[in-house]
Amino acid sequence: MEYKEETTSIQGTWPLEQWRWKHETSVLAKKFLEALKDKKIIGLKCPGCGLVYVPPKPYCRCLSIPDEWVEVKDTAVITTYTFTGSWSFGGRLEGTGAPLVIAGVMYDGSDTQTLAILDGVDPDDVAVGKRTRVKWPENPQGGINDIMHSELI
Amino acid sequence: MNKEVAVIGYAQTLYEEDADASREMLTLRAAREALVSAGLKREDVSTVVTATNDYLDGRTISNMRTVEPSGASQKDESKVEMDGAFAALYAIMRILSGFHDVAMVIGVSLASVYATYLPGIMILDPTWDRERGLLNEVSAAALQANCYMREYGVSDEQIASVSAKNLDNAARNPLALRQMPGLSVEQVLDSRMLYSPIRELNAWPATDGACAVVLASGKTAAKAEKPVWVKGVGLCHDSYLTERPLAVMESLKLAAEACYKQAGITDPASQIDLAEIHENFAHEELMAYEALGFCEEGKGGELIESGITQIDGGLPVNASGGALGANAVCATGLARIAEAAMQVVGEAGDHQVPGVKTALAHGQSGPCAQDNVVFILGGD
Amino acid sequence: MRDVAVVGVGLSKHVSKRRDVNIAELVWEAVSAAYEDAGLTPGEVDGVITGNMPAFEGVNLPECWGAGHWGTYRKPLLRITTGGTTGGSVGHGAFYAVASGLFDTVIAIAFEKQSDGDSTAGLNTVILADIAALLGFGVDPSLLLAFGGGAVGIAVYQASSYMKSSGCTTHHLDKVSVLCRTNAAKNPHAHLQQPGLTPDDVAKTDLMQYPLRFGHVCPASDGACAMILTTGERARKLTDRPAYIRSVASCSDEGALIGIGGSGTLNVDPGRQESCKLAAARAYEHAGIKDPRNEIDLAEPYAPFAHQLLMFYERLLLCDEGEAPAVLNSGSMEMAGELPVCPSGGVISTNAIGASALERIAEAAMQIMGRAGEHQVQKDVHKAVAHGWGGMVNLNVVAVLADTPRG
Repeated sequence: MEYKEETTSIQGTWPLEQWRWKHETSVLAKKFLEALKDKKIIGLKCPGCGLVYVPPKPYCRCLSIPDEWVEVKDTAVITTYTFTGSWSFGGRLEGTGAPLVIAGVMYDGSDTQTLAILDGVDPDDVAVGKRTRVKWPENPQGGINDIMHSELI
Repeated sequence: MNKEVAVIGYAQTLYEEDADASREMLTLRAAREALVSAGLKREDVSTVVTATNDYLDGRTISNMRTVEPSGASQKDESKVEMDGAFAALYAIMRILSGFHDVAMVIGVSLASVYATYLPGIMILDPTWDRERGLLNEVSAAALQANCYMREYGVSDEQIASVSAKNLDNAARNPLALRQMPGLSVEQVLDSRMLYSPIRELNAWPATDGACAVVLASGKTAAKAEKPVWVKGVGLCHDSYLTERPLAVMESLKLAAEACYKQAGITDPASQIDLAEIHENFAHEELMAYEALGFCEEGKGGELIESGITQIDGGLPVNASGGALGANAVCATGLARIAEAAMQVVGEAGDHQVPGVKTALAHGQSGPCAQDNVVFILGGD
Repeated sequence: MRDVAVVGVGLSKHVSKRRDVNIAELVWEAVSAAYEDAGLTPGEVDGVITGNMPAFEGVNLPECWGAGHWGTYRKPLLRITTGGTTGGSVGHGAFYAVASGLFDTVIAIAFEKQSDGDSTAGLNTVILADIAALLGFGVDPSLLLAFGGGAVGIAVYQASSYMKSSGCTTHHLDKVSVLCRTNAAKNPHAHLQQPGLTPDDVAKTDLMQYPLRFGHVCPASDGACAMILTTGERARKLTDRPAYIRSVASCSDEGALIGIGGSGTLNVDPGRQESCKLAAARAYEHAGIKDPRNEIDLAEPYAPFAHQLLMFYERLLLCDEGEAPAVLNSGSMEMAGELPVCPSGGVISTNAIGASALERIAEAAMQIMGRAGEHQVQKDVHKAVAHGWGGMVNLNVVAVLADTPRG
């Protein structure tokens, strides 16, 4: 015979707050963030294959350890983008409110991309391959927010 | 198996309590050193199998961050979510299929990032065991230990002498975490009680570390400097811990039988020169002696007393210090393969046992050694 | 190498919430169906390859207490998990197990019971580790959520990138959903069955995040898939028409997350999927297929998001890059077409995540064996390609199946 009815639910938790993650980047990140205060973007170059990692990364796919600091430009190329807003994720008010345009940007001189917000840009004007420049705050604080905003050029 | 697959390189990182390195960097170190050991470059590797666990890592898809540091970028990569010894078996399958020539296997773990026994609790049956808080890796092992001791009349002293042996051996292994030269049975019995009869020195230490092993097909291995041939493999999964007799390791016995058949081992105690057993708890080593056929059922306690499994005995077990010496979960069983290979090659330094021609390596996964895998390795 | 063939396939019922069964029982539905399909008993199987995405159910190593219910008592067992590709990786593991000569007959089991947990939360644990570090640098957490947003967050970047490079429009996306969901209506195991769905219906669904609408995105399903593989020799005794797996190949790009935490290189453009092209090329080569465009009769790409069906059709080397939207318009992807794509309804109709990539192989095998019932395609299927995508947008797995061995 088989027992057929609804299953019983038993509550369980995965207490992830008890995990701590180790990131190699504290030394690297400090140097990277410090440079932002001078409105400079720096990355690490791999001695094995020459790739430049921005933000810096302590290992490369070729199994070398990137160790040379290089400065890259604050101009970049858009690699991908999306836009979102209060109407996203199920909202019905499509097209209302100012959309938040998020783009993947690769700074000139870097081989990796990071994300940036394109302020006041019409989504129709955004395209893969278009160019951007970082909108630096007047007094950069040495945080990743310093390069969070870019504009189309 | 006759010269179809061999271990041609291996590396272990230093085992530490709280490594000043991320999981990725430990992986990178092991991968780089293993390639040097094999005399190969990243380009020579065609497939990479990693062993990690999402719950140990604290995030899903735990292998996605090991792609670059394991050298797997643009390669045929997969992940076995068990101990690295099982990943090694998968890599062997990949090579035997003829699809791959050289495989990199890496197991890595950072025990310092979570509460020690928490991920193990997540393995328990969610309906009956997990939320009741009675079972964890140590209490489950304690239930098994008592069951085994009662069934066969094994004493606390006999179990403690496993710890004394392995932690003393660990003192000769520069990579081991828990090195205790000259440790006595009394000192083990004086260590803190966790769950009766498991004391602190009967249980594995939470460890950060990584191990990498390079495997190659017969054709490539024949050209390698120091091939250690895989002569047999065996694998078996047992029922859940509450659904099976705990006093015997039946799945290890079945895995060993399959492995011995391939390797042509009919009298393990005399044909095997050295064994590296994955003993998360001291009593498991005694149970493994029996399952592996080193002695009769129930005679594990007597075997350790005889001294045969000491580093200078006739069948040294865990000359490296075993899992009691260092247990980077997911790397531990793989490290047994690396240690066994190292002994066959003769590179084990202070813990080298002279004249090792045939060695056994064992890996386990799941609560109370639910899954077991056994390898026989040998030189020419 | 030994020939490896599929001799039995089993799928559970797939719906959003299977409240009538627990994980082990859900899996048994697929497993028992596979044994029945193969005409074998559990005792005749030598080993088990299994996997799921454990964070989605909130259980670690579920086979520890589950496998006892799947006829796997004291059998060799290997657990393989690789994120969204888990099912494909499980299928590959089963292939290698038999091809290696170490095992003769194995069962591949992959499943997900998403209603037991929270899949988006489970998926967000991928980035939680990175977010934890970034919060320390003073980053606004709400912004990170907009960047992340589970699998959809990644998919929108990929979709916009692919659409820009290929000329694919939202209209094409609507048509992909129609193709899959109307096919699914003929597949009793499919989750979202929408006979008579029109592109206009899809276009009217709510926008999720540009460019994807709800109608372009997979459901979250509870479901399981099992597949029995054996040697060519034994397969021929069991069935007149086994589905041979001629080759498998997987390929990893860097495990890059888009964003600050991840520094990808080859994977900079999530629409490029170089690893899919490499895996496909390797798989075709091993399978002895020189001209996939003309030799492949059927494709089961892994496409939880509409644009991916077109993108992966291209990356599986079945047409030139940028050509798939035109191929879609030509009607050749339909069930009666020249190269039917996802006659099963695909992942966009049914997504029990850990199982999905195994279901692609299983569906391809069923089509070759002529056992697909109402969703059997019109043409004879001699060679088929099955694909899986996942990891952190970085891993592609490809299997090539045929009605004859490699020769």
